[in-house]
Amino acid sequence: MALKFLVVDDSVTMRRIVVNTLKNLGYDEIVEAEDGKDAFEKLQSTPGINFVITDWNMPNMTGLELTQAIRGDERFSDLPILMVTTRGVKEDIIQALKARVNNYVIKPFTPQVLQEKINQVLETT
Amino acid sequence: MEKVTMTLTQVVQMITELKEVFKFTEKVIPLLQDLVEFMRDVVPLLEEINDRIAESTAKMPTASSKIDSVTSATEMATTEILDRVDAISASLNEIENKLQQIENARSEKQKIFAQILEEASLTEKGKELVERFKALSVCDNALFEVREKIKGINNETYNITLALQVQDITAQQLAAVNHLIINVHEKLSKLINNIHSSHFETTPEFSAKLDAPEKTTFDPEAKYDTSSARQDEIDKLIADQQKGGGGTASQDEIDKLFSGENNG
Repeated sequence: MALKFLVVDDSVTMRRIVVNTLKNLGYDEIVEAEDGKDAFEKLQSTPGINFVITDWNMPNMTGLELTQAIRGDERFSDLPILMVTTRGVKEDIIQALKARVNNYVIKPFTPQVLQEKINQVLETT
Repeated sequence: MEKVTMTLTQVVQMITELKEVFKFTEKVIPLLQDLVEFMRDVVPLLEEINDRIAESTAKMPTASSKIDSVTSATEMATTEILDRVDAISASLNEIENKLQQIENARSEKQKIFAQILEEASLTEKGKELVERFKALSVCDNALFEVREKIKGINNETYNITLALQVQDITAQQLAAVNHLIINVHEKLSKLINNIHSSHFETTPEFSAKLDAPEKTTFDPEAKYDTSSARQDEIDKLIADQQKGGGGTASQDEIDKLFSGENNG
């Protein structure tokens, strides 16, 4: 199954870096969103998105709130979600795990780590 | 009218007490004078401090807006760098494609040449030409080396892209500083406005609120740490959680995970 990613980050720089990395890893189908609200709208309006990579700290709707919104909607409740964030303290990870993110990548990330986490998420979902 | 009766002893006692009061007052008056003088010296100082705080507070919006400008400038610069890196990568890809075409054509030519060489080596003159041709084949390695170099440049340009993650991290650090400035400004403005309204007729025009920067959420602990230690720790936590049955972990389960060697 071809992967269609939704990359969510309010930083234009980070979005571009994640998108470039995905393209370098061989993934071409990528949709971008600038915050959680935009992402949830795009998720509903764009067919075929089957993997979400989201930042945490964003205006309007955070990555954590986006995760909760996705998990709370039966259409997307099993959608793989990879959190890519600077937040690395225990309490944050507890929150993310409770919100049911599938995996967690700390920024700055390497392409190897991103690929490894994508693979792990796909293996477990 | 009520009749006041007082014994002589009582009158003497009162006079004695009054005398003590006078004695005490004599001691206290110089102290009070010192205190008044001290206050006379301190009040201008306090006013000076108040003015300085007011001045600093007035500068805070500028500081805050400058921090926003720094964030915008670095974001713009980063975007430009990314544009150039993308352009370099695109050019390198074009070169690589051309080299691939050259290599494919060369491979075809070599097959034909191999047959020609076979035929040519049947004569003495042909043998000599074959040797001269073999010496020229050193160039084949050069093509391979060029492709390797291009691969290396491509990797390096991509590493530049990855290093630019620092922009997002510094933007969050600056947003945290800005948030702090806004909070301090708000508190100082309220304080100054309160002081002025209670002691002066005119009140300074300090807006208690600064315009909040666009990026309203940030991680104050954001850091540019390229070591794998933090990721390793997170991986371990998630792996432990998945071993525990996956799905949503209860708070107890998560607390248990964090109570061991992962503490700290």
